Amino acid sequence: MSRIVWLASYPKSGNTWFRLLVANLSATEAPTDINDMGERGGIASARTPFEFHTLLDSGLLTHDEADALRPRVYELMGPEDDGQDLRLVKAHDAYLPTPQGEPLLGGRAAADAAIVIVRDPRDIAPSLANHRGTSIDAAVDFMADKTACFAAATRAQPLQLRQRLLDWSGHVATWLDQPDLPTHIVRYEDLQADPVATFTAAMAFAGRDPARADVERAIEFARFERLQAQERERGFSEWRARGPSALFFRRGESQAWRGELTGDQVRRIESAHGPMMLRLGYLTTAEADARRAI
Amino acid sequence: MYRYSIAGLTTSSDIEMPGLHAGPDGDGADVSICRGAVPERLDGATASGPTWAMSPDRFLLRIPGIARFLLSGGAQITHQLEADGEAGDLAAFLTGTVFGILLHQRGLVVLHASGVNVGGRAVLFMGPSGSGKSTLATALAQRGYPLVTDDFCVIGADAAGRRLVHPDGRLPKLWAQAIRHLDLADRQGPAVRGRLAKFYVEPPLAPASAAPLPCGPVYALREARAPHKPGIQRPNIVDAALLLRHNAYRARLIRQMDQGELYFQLAAAICNAGGVFQLTRELDFDALAGVIADLERHWAESGQPAAVA
Repeated sequence: MSRIVWLASYPKSGNTWFRLLVANLSATEAPTDINDMGERGGIASARTPFEFHTLLDSGLLTHDEADALRPRVYELMGPEDDGQDLRLVKAHDAYLPTPQGEPLLGGRAAADAAIVIVRDPRDIAPSLANHRGTSIDAAVDFMADKTACFAAATRAQPLQLRQRLLDWSGHVATWLDQPDLPTHIVRYEDLQADPVATFTAAMAFAGRDPARADVERAIEFARFERLQAQERERGFSEWRARGPSALFFRRGESQAWRGELTGDQVRRIESAHGPMMLRLGYLTTAEADARRAI
Repeated sequence: MYRYSIAGLTTSSDIEMPGLHAGPDGDGADVSICRGAVPERLDGATASGPTWAMSPDRFLLRIPGIARFLLSGGAQITHQLEADGEAGDLAAFLTGTVFGILLHQRGLVVLHASGVNVGGRAVLFMGPSGSGKSTLATALAQRGYPLVTDDFCVIGADAAGRRLVHPDGRLPKLWAQAIRHLDLADRQGPAVRGRLAKFYVEPPLAPASAAPLPCGPVYALREARAPHKPGIQRPNIVDAALLLRHNAYRARLIRQMDQGELYFQLAAAICNAGGVFQLTRELDFDALAGVIADLERHWAESGQPAAVA
């Protein structure tokens, strides 16, 4: 029996890359097919496990009614699992309470811990714009919107259950400051700069001790250019491309924002998220002070 | 009391349930639906989940803040509103999950499927909630194929073992967006629940009668996402059996009720008759006409009679 370790992140922060690293740990001959991630464990907001356990049509419930039942589903997800020694489940939801006041994701009753993946919000913005098929300005606004959600439509049934994201700073803060679960922060930038040490430390936090050779091979198999090549060849099952040439594995770089954002977009992100960027090391104290003075 | 015929069962109900076939007059009924006291827990439960508990002859479903339902012996449904529950919400749950579980309690084979009448046979489309079953079936009804069933369907058998589907006149439930895309605003009925933009729709072609139809081809719906390309494929019989089992209505209960064998028998029967197929298509209203054209080609190639209209 294994319990959930959340793989929590704001969208476009490296969650999928991390899951591909995990999946490739057990790939010996060839890279794991990006459309067949054996260990993906689904996403917290998937409708299938919700309906399987509750016997209800989630489309007959309001978003809030579904939220009230979600903790019960996660309490059952770990124990019903068979065979896996680590149950990493992706979540884009902010760590928030249900309308009834209990943790939406079930707190300690459902999970043991959370790996929280974060990324410089200036690099998230262009990636999010590509993902949602919007302008970068709209992505910057979305990241500053405290009411932002995924899958919140009410005139049709979204593929997934609603995910309340909050703004970027608020999202990260709910995960880092929640009192229920121990957390381990993985910075996207560190995963790029020193993948062996960063990934090994995260796995150790989750109670795994992979061999160095396996880690190095997984990193090579999940190298960005390889993932993008797979997507160009066969597509990627976990997203709907917005346009014929759009790619999920778009750029995979840190600091690319310097060439992609206008000065005004950079200022808007830094002034909206200065304190959290400082906390995560994306701004220096002097930089954060200077933004505050603007 | 209202009287309906649901999946071939005469049902008396103190709740009006939109769009079901009227049942025969008389006193007796196979199933009766009545308001009454429903406990919060089920004594002697042998299995349970976050919203339910079951014993050999009783099943308790609790939808927090809405209502509780007690199903007894496959014949009696008792309902009680929760504190903030609204009576107008009962019909949606009764005609869906609650009646579906009652059918399992009776040992019947129930698929999560909508269906239409194609040349006198019931063609079924299986898939989870949100997979587009109702939209596709309603679009086919607009094209001239009468609707047979929506959301779930019981598959029975005649004396010769031929699989039969009972049309039960259930109105399709469509989201506002689908109603707009299918241009069905003038057929939009009341909301399924007051707080949802999901509505009953008067189907363009309702079933002519409640007489059972032989079961034709069964399609499992799948969105065209990489690496799966749009098209119709025929899986091998093992995969076909798994598809049927996965698309059993409330599949969680199949193992609990020890009914797995029924679905393997069903797979064998359907594979020998109309066949089980995987229908992979874009989940996009603009793709619907193409999907229907593919289906009609598929029916023509397999010798299925053309549209009745």
